[in-house]
Amino acid sequence: MIRQLIINNVLHRPIRTIVSVIAVGVEVALVILIVGLTSGLLQETAKRIEGIGADIMLQPPSSSMFLAFSGAPMPIKIADKLREMKYVQAVAPVLLQFSSSGSVDIVYGIDAQSFRDVSGGFVFLEGHDFQGPDDILLDDWAAKAKQVKAGDKFTLLEHDFHVAGIVEHGKGSRMFVPLATLQDLSGSRDKASVFFIKCTRPEHTQAVMDALKPVFPGYEIRPLKDFLSMMSSANLPGLDAFIDSMIALAVSIGFLVILLSMYTTVIERTRDIGVLKSIGASKGYIIRALLGESALICLIGIGVGIAMSYAGRAVFLDSFPTLSILITTDWIVRSAAIALAGGLLGASYPAWLASRKDAIEALSYD
Amino acid sequence: MEPIVVTENLWKMYRAGKVEVPALRGINFKVMPGEFVTVMGPSGCGKSTLLYVLGGLAQASKGHVLVDGNDLVTMNDAERTKLRRHKIGFVFQRFNLLPTLDARGNIAIAQHIYGESFDPHRFEVVTKMLGLGERLKHRPSELSGGEQQRVAIARAIINEPKIILADEPTGNLDTQNSEIVLSMLRQLNKELGQTIIMITHNPEAAAYSDRMVHMRDGQIVDGVPAH
Ligand SMILES: Nc1ncnc2c1ncn2[C@@H]1O[C@H](COP(=O)(O)OP(=O)(O)O)[C@@H](O)[C@H]1O
Ligand SMILES: [Mg+2]
Repeated sequence: MIRQLIINNVLHRPIRTIVSVIAVGVEVALVILIVGLTSGLLQETAKRIEGIGADIMLQPPSSSMFLAFSGAPMPIKIADKLREMKYVQAVAPVLLQFSSSGSVDIVYGIDAQSFRDVSGGFVFLEGHDFQGPDDILLDDWAAKAKQVKAGDKFTLLEHDFHVAGIVEHGKGSRMFVPLATLQDLSGSRDKASVFFIKCTRPEHTQAVMDALKPVFPGYEIRPLKDFLSMMSSANLPGLDAFIDSMIALAVSIGFLVILLSMYTTVIERTRDIGVLKSIGASKGYIIRALLGESALICLIGIGVGIAMSYAGRAVFLDSFPTLSILITTDWIVRSAAIALAGGLLGASYPAWLASRKDAIEALSYD
Repeated sequence: MEPIVVTENLWKMYRAGKVEVPALRGINFKVMPGEFVTVMGPSGCGKSTLLYVLGGLAQASKGHVLVDGNDLVTMNDAERTKLRRHKIGFVFQRFNLLPTLDARGNIAIAQHIYGESFDPHRFEVVTKMLGLGERLKHRPSELSGGEQQRVAIARAIINEPKIILADEPTGNLDTQNSEIVLSMLRQLNKELGQTIIMITHNPEAAAYSDRMVHMRDGQIVDGVPAH
């Protein structure tokens, strides 16, 4: 019977219910998509870094394993020092640069020869390797997203490049320019952001890392094997905080909308609450009826939000094909729990007010 | 036989800002089981307040209120709620049905609030007696005033309360519907021995009862000569 009351009350004000449902839906979709976008981005980046084929990555102190957040560049001379070490077969210095032309990308400034030595070389789908300082290589995804072919002109970092070749994706970045050119453009002459190290044999990785540690104290020295599994937002200072604040924002939307909607509901039904009291309903019964109402709204909103996430992902990936959004059951469940908890919390103050209403005043309310 | 309702020097104050306004000023009142009593008096004399206190919706300020042997003055809100659930049925002038539930739901919700031990056969008996069979699927907004009040009576008696408290139950009804509602209350009283305390302005309505009580300025004035 209380179920009937809850359902009928939810249906009684369709607009208010729809607005609340949409708010909860947006909340859920926002959480799922933001987490999905960051974890998709992380996984994708990790896969590409793994795909370079290096064994070890050397970065300046306090850099993040997510290459976008690298510390101050290091002198490129370090590469020579590294090459002299035992078991080191090849070293590729790379300078990283953020670019936000249309989408946010990280451009790799590479030395063609050393990058080839470490990675085994690009697979060219179109065109050829660097021939001049203004040449750029794009991977097939970036080429598709930016709609360029080999031979086209391409502006990046306010510089006119010539698209020399389109390469198969999966080797660190989606865009590569000559190291010297990027050093000039970013004002970091003779600098590199990261050194990718290839050992003579993969089994030597640990020995090389052990040898590196005393020579480069404080530097970030990471093996690239199992890089993917190590990559999580927890390893990224800032990103976790970003995700947390986006979740907090999403939850506030749901919380406030439910609070307001249940508050107006309680005022509108003041007389009904008096009636329930007159037929012997306890405070607990009134609280249950109102929390049940918001729980029902939340549950519908969660369903809508999950659908919105998949629809949102489809639309998003249509516009940004290079991005990937990872929707996991784990986060669907979590976002649902967050939305439900937020909704019940938002409804609890109005429900408490309702349960404490003076029955006589409530019965004489118009 | 013991009276089912007893008040002794019952006072009820309302707070209006900083001042306390007495609505009941020393009521002494007894009702025997199976009695049908009407309470009459000018508007604002405290009739509704008396009913609210007897039904445990309002706490008395002073004195004693015994309902079926329980002193409401010593009980907290939760205890009075429980007593009301089991022993009191309210009928109001404004019907006070829940607008989102149909007639059946309005009656059944009282059974569910009452709890697991409600009598499932009682629903048929009561709705048949009040002639509601055809109208059970309708919402209050689709029912006439007379029908709404019959649903409200069904809700009030569905759990076989010892006492019905009716606050001007015919105040919003035309003559014909008033007569139907009053004769139903009379029938409940006569055939089932239901105790009823009914407020009314209408002497014709009062004629249905066993006994009339008159109030003025928060006091019972029977036996006191009018000025
Ligand atoms: N909630 C309230 N707060 C303050 N005063 C009230 C309240 N309810 C009733 N009163 C006052 O108490 C007195 C008795 O009211 P009431 O019991 O409703 O009278 P009746 O039902 O006889 O018309 C009136 O003076 C009224 O103004
Ligand atoms: Mg009144």
